[in-house]
Amino acid sequence: MHDHPLDLIAALADGSLSDEAEARALVETCPDCREEYRAQTEVIGWLAATPAAEMTDLEKAALHRDLWTELRNERSKSPATPWWQRLSYVAAGLLVMVGLVGVLNNGGLEGGAESGATTTAAIAQTFDEAPTEEVPFVAQGSDDSESAPEMATETTAAAEAAGEESLPVPFQELADEARANRADRVAPQGMDQDTEECLTRIGLDEHLVADEVELDQTYLLVMPEDPEAEPIVTFVVLPGCEIVFVG
Amino acid sequence: MTVPGNEAELLTRVVSGDREAFDAVMRVHQDRVFSVCFRILGDREKALDATQDTFLTVFRKAGQFQGRSAVGTWIYRIAVNTCYDQLRRAQRRPSESLPDHVALSDPSAEEAIESAAVRPEIELALAQLPADFRNAVVLSDLEGLPLPEIAEILGVPVGTVKSRVFRGRRLLANHLGNQNDQ
Repeated sequence: MHDHPLDLIAALADGSLSDEAEARALVETCPDCREEYRAQTEVIGWLAATPAAEMTDLEKAALHRDLWTELRNERSKSPATPWWQRLSYVAAGLLVMVGLVGVLNNGGLEGGAESGATTTAAIAQTFDEAPTEEVPFVAQGSDDSESAPEMATETTAAAEAAGEESLPVPFQELADEARANRADRVAPQGMDQDTEECLTRIGLDEHLVADEVELDQTYLLVMPEDPEAEPIVTFVVLPGCEIVFVG
Repeated sequence: MTVPGNEAELLTRVVSGDREAFDAVMRVHQDRVFSVCFRILGDREKALDATQDTFLTVFRKAGQFQGRSAVGTWIYRIAVNTCYDQLRRAQRRPSESLPDHVALSDPSAEEAIESAAVRPEIELALAQLPADFRNAVVLSDLEGLPLPEIAEILGVPVGTVKSRVFRGRRLLANHLGNQNDQ
């Protein structure tokens, strides 16, 4: 019965022995040891030749998005928002609706990048008029003020009821517009270094910055640079360089 | 990749809800966590789910990290345990087959799958290893982690890790030899 220390042979195969003399002697003199060495070496070689499994850029973006969505949902189950704060968010929502109706009545949604910019500016202006609390659907740190779960919930519930990706309305419209007008989108001339470093850090450096959007803060509207690729629109919060939405 | 500040310090900031600190920790470790999960579970979608679950646990339990190991070791231990949980749930629902479709909304996923593909016969042989042996072989021979770190991740002595790695390789060789004979 073979009683040579096969773990010694295996360690010889993976190069983890500081002194190989004993193991080498066994391999030379013992057929079973030699066979063990061959088997171990072969498997090690096969496995070492396997490239690392990697996530794609979109998978990483979705990972960050879904994770913060999950954490935000957990936080929204914590103590209810005070009634006076809920009332202020409802008022903000009404202001947004009034502003959008005004834009639509003024024909601000005719096709083309120019009207897209007009719509963006109109939406930005509307948000500028809203209370300065953080947009409730943006993931927040734990020391931020309470979000408005009811507002986000209504938006999310409505979108989910329609079977659509649950993006808040202004972002969904911008994403749809970016896809539709992709050919007309012009990247800002010369990206500044902060923006470049931000996109490199989050793995979107080969994407096209299709637009900068000013809402409660600056968002970059980003999509794959390859015109043949699916125009999946990503929003990046510029100050913190974090991916907010993928849609 | 540059890690802003000591990792243990970053985890302390995560406890107080510092999102940037958590994102920094994620960016350093997300690739390896995914790779480990993918090799253990053998399925991309399940590996993505396990990766998310891993970092959810990291966020929730950041306050429990005591600094007795490296942050990465602690995270990979959570990843392995998360994969164990998935495997146990799958065993309780044997009718649930592992999906092998590609997410059509992400064309680069198919390329990523192909480039990371282990030879089919090796993948089959890995999947048939007992979970303890498979985890040890994945961490050692696919991820290249040193044995002491693997011992910390798996919560077993170094000698046990060595034994599992060596026996796991032997089982792989036996299985692959049987396949070649067919």
